[in-house]
Amino acid sequence: MARSLLGRPLVFMTLALSVDASADEARQWLDKMNRAVEELNYQGTFVHVLEGTVETLRITHRNEGGRSAERIESLDGVGREIIRQDNQVQCILPDRRVVLLEARKDLNPLVSSLPSYSDELEPHYALKLRSTTRVANRAAQILEIKPRDDFRYGYMLWLDQATAMPLRSQLIDDKGAIVEQISFTAIELRAEIPPEAIAPTIDTTGFTMLRPPESSTLTAELSWRASTLPGGFKLSGATQSPIAGSEYPVEHLVYSDGLATVSVFIEDPHTKSEVTEGFSKMGSTNAYSLTLRGRKVTAVGEVPRQTVRTIASSLVTE
Amino acid sequence: MTEQINDQISAFIDDELPDEESAFLLRRFERDPDARGRALRYTVIGAALRNELLGPEPAILRRRIAVALTGAPPLPAQRVPAPWHSRYLRPLVGVGIAASVAFGAIIGLRALTDARLGTVAPAGTLSAAPLQTRAVDAPPSYVVPQEVVDAPAVTPAVRLTNYVVHHSEYASRLSRTFVRSNVVGAAEIVPAAEPPPPQPPPQFRQGTTPE
Repeated sequence: MARSLLGRPLVFMTLALSVDASADEARQWLDKMNRAVEELNYQGTFVHVLEGTVETLRITHRNEGGRSAERIESLDGVGREIIRQDNQVQCILPDRRVVLLEARKDLNPLVSSLPSYSDELEPHYALKLRSTTRVANRAAQILEIKPRDDFRYGYMLWLDQATAMPLRSQLIDDKGAIVEQISFTAIELRAEIPPEAIAPTIDTTGFTMLRPPESSTLTAELSWRASTLPGGFKLSGATQSPIAGSEYPVEHLVYSDGLATVSVFIEDPHTKSEVTEGFSKMGSTNAYSLTLRGRKVTAVGEVPRQTVRTIASSLVTE
Repeated sequence: MTEQINDQISAFIDDELPDEESAFLLRRFERDPDARGRALRYTVIGAALRNELLGPEPAILRRRIAVALTGAPPLPAQRVPAPWHSRYLRPLVGVGIAASVAFGAIIGLRALTDARLGTVAPAGTLSAAPLQTRAVDAPPSYVVPQEVVDAPAVTPAVRLTNYVVHHSEYASRLSRTFVRSNVVGAAEIVPAAEPPPPQPPPQFRQGTTPE
């Protein structure tokens, strides 16, 4: 009896240590994945499964001397493309004959340091390493990221054992259902990708180019903040961003819990807003718009709808 | 797409199409998104049958894929059980066909991809030599736009697309590909139905002030 009582704390301690070790190892995998997607040169074809539709997309990612460039193109339908190269992001929408041009933000140290897979994730996500398997003919480690409340999505990741590249990723809702899935059917890791591989493939002659204005200032400057935030979300940045196609910049607030991010855009009162109020969505990216103090406010994020609404609705001026 | 092209795609996948006709078909893949999409969708079917796309609800997802690919209504939940030999042999035959189709589609896709990349493609990944020569000779499809128009008037969908593109720059690397795939893959931003009234959040904190 005495022996078993003495043994129990040891068993519990061993279990607790092994759980911590597993979480630590899972975090290391996340960190490794974070570096892999940015630092490696690769090209692959993946299927994007969302709400019963399947699309085939191709990604080409190039890194040279720490500068990354990337093109994601749809191989189906109208064939949209998004290209991030040099200091610019180009989004080509052939269905609308529009090219959106934006300045790249990830060159900003604030943005590049955004995802920090630190202990701060722990109260809001449970990280767990699962079994190993094969995806796209490569050995993969399965990693589960489970949210502890309904204000964020979970992830199931199949990470390449050799490089930690995510070979398959699933976005999971609070009921455990798959919201969205990306799965590589073929991926090639290369020593080098030539710059021309990132060039647009769509002839944009005659397309409308929507550029952000070169210099503009807000006509009414107010300091906006969310007064109510789901646990773990913090203000990561507050800027005035020029927006393509708008004469006035928008105020842009970024809230992040380390994995999920919500952007809040507050339009200038002089902007002729064309954003519809209420919920919108683009795939699994949810948006919620409303008017506050005569300004159109839109929250956008890869989070459940209640999260964008909670944050957008709680905005106040300081 | 005509019956003839369908036959050609099948023959190409089975490696029974003469070189000349293969070259013709590959050229068609480049300029005909329908034909290319069809070949690529076989890849999806193959992947699905290889259990690569399946989550906890394989039957539901498989049905969704079938609906997405064929436009056919979803199958009823109840089906008449097939004889045991049919029940076990059919999936094997299906997997065999789909695997060969997917393999062909991937080879074709890779060849097109590698041709765009030029000399970087490892020789081992190209199975159709004429394709490489032809694709390299093809003129570049991208033309630098001559006329730049600054148009302040945008449609709501474009403005929201812009927000999502802008937001993707700040998304974590884990979710960035999801967000960008939504931009590239989504045909339209759709208004979503109102969700049920929100429940009181379990843990709230006051908004923080930037340093």
